[in-house]
Amino acid sequence: MAPLLEVEKIAAAYGEVRALWDVSFSVQTGEIVTLLGANGAGKTTTMRVISGLLRPLGGEVRLGGRPIHRLPAPRIVASGIVQIPEGRRLWPRMSVLENLELGAYLPESRARRAQTLDWVFSLFPRLAERRAQLAGTLSGGEQQMLAIGRGLMSRPRLLMLDEPSLGLAPILVREVFEIVRKINAEGVTVLLVEQNVRQALELATRGYVLETGRITRSGTAAELLQDPEIKRAYLGM
Amino acid sequence: MRALSARLPWARGAPWAPRASALAALALGILLALVPAVAPRDITLLNLGFFTFLYVAQGLAWNVLGGYAGYVSFGYAAFFGLGAYTTALLWLAGWPPLATYPVAGIVAAAFSLIVGVPTLRLVGPYFSIATIGVGEAMRVLMLNLDRITGGASGLNLPTAVPSKTWFYTTSLLFAAVAFAVAAWVRGSRVGLGLMALRMDLEAAESLGVRTALFKNVAHSLGAFLVGACGGLYATFLQYVHPDTVFSFTESISLVLIALIGGLGTVWGPVLGAVVFYAVQDYLQTSYPTFHLLVYGVLLILILLFEPKGLAGLAERAWRRMRGAPARLAPAGPSGAEPAAPGRGGAG
Repeated sequence: MAPLLEVEKIAAAYGEVRALWDVSFSVQTGEIVTLLGANGAGKTTTMRVISGLLRPLGGEVRLGGRPIHRLPAPRIVASGIVQIPEGRRLWPRMSVLENLELGAYLPESRARRAQTLDWVFSLFPRLAERRAQLAGTLSGGEQQMLAIGRGLMSRPRLLMLDEPSLGLAPILVREVFEIVRKINAEGVTVLLVEQNVRQALELATRGYVLETGRITRSGTAAELLQDPEIKRAYLGM
Repeated sequence: MRALSARLPWARGAPWAPRASALAALALGILLALVPAVAPRDITLLNLGFFTFLYVAQGLAWNVLGGYAGYVSFGYAAFFGLGAYTTALLWLAGWPPLATYPVAGIVAAAFSLIVGVPTLRLVGPYFSIATIGVGEAMRVLMLNLDRITGGASGLNLPTAVPSKTWFYTTSLLFAAVAFAVAAWVRGSRVGLGLMALRMDLEAAESLGVRTALFKNVAHSLGAFLVGACGGLYATFLQYVHPDTVFSFTESISLVLIALIGGLGTVWGPVLGAVVFYAVQDYLQTSYPTFHLLVYGVLLILILLFEPKGLAGLAERAWRRMRGAPARLAPAGPSGAEPAAPGRGGAG
């Protein structure tokens, strides 16, 4: 079967500043794939290209075999990819419910929003309790839950998470990762960008390592965890 | 939970707010509509009403893109002027004035798309500056198209015009339509999207909000209303001149009205237009430029102390009046936007 997401030789730049040279990888349906790398390696840029927020200079992105790299961002969401941005990017002065509503903005997801909302509330009971509260008054962990829940409101086939552990206490990081596992178990494919390498590899099926805009290593999570180079560079062993 | 999802609330602020606000607007509208019956000969009063309502309508129209979505345009005079000239030319061609207003609105809305599709890709000050350019270019263009617009001598229009009462009532109707549109947009899905894109454009796009489409819808909705107002104005004055209907002052007025009244609020432009026109009317005759100073002072005070304008001030006063019991309610997170008690218990 063809992979759900195929990224082939993409290159990208911010103005004159080249960020990606030659990035290729794929995600199979049902997998959790993690994209690892240091700050500035190009992980977020790769995600922005996939979600249509940044046009690639070259290369192709295909979802279920269909090229999507020329579509505008809203159309990419409609085709089934949603990105949970780094730093959550909630609307702090809107209520929890309004934030979720903005996640189900497309006509397709709007039609099913009542069921989706029940599903999201069953994954995050805390959000149900706080639905009338302003998003800005939630704790950091709750805000991350809301950001994920908001992304799920579009019923994505592929959920892309950018640094979901950012700024969270270790116990909350574990909680977030546990929820990602649960979401994946319910049939959502996951692409995870993380600096928290060990926990990301414990969760993921496979991983790719990005270094200065190129993929330098790839393998199953178990292989990468055993890779001496990765142990040295990212796990401090 | 099912009951809750079925009525996903759009409520911003208290749940009673939209209904109370609609009722208040309706009552006020009816009251104002009775004025000509009580004082049919008071030309000054009817004229004051006509201009105030005309500005209320335009302030509300401007606020849809400018306030909700945060795209501050200094170019709405182009829509006003196009509307005025559309009515003028059709009226000269024998149309009844009333039939020309929708056409005036459509012409202005079509032009707003031509301008909006490229310029609404710009953000913040870049957009605002581009709109100044468009507005001024239109004025100069119209001044030089003298075959059509009469150029620097303007166009004289038919002198057979409806009564002052008719103008008063029509203008009030325009304001009512603009209020209904502004209130509806604010409470709708489109309004939520516009506010979301104002606060975080990229987050909105990445969730599938078609931001370019919504910005253009908001822009052309505003342009339609302002264009129709331009048409009404041309009928009232029986004369159009590029320098008046395409003037930069006209563009600035709408920005001031929304800012003074309260950016992004439904009642803001209503209050703003009343203050704006009352100040202008009282001061312009005796001290020709003094009203500009008053606006300047008002603007500074508002930016410093109450960014939500007069509407914000009124809300604050209202809250203080009934503030003590509201504070005691357990649900409100900070008092900034009271968590709806009725809604919270719906699940």
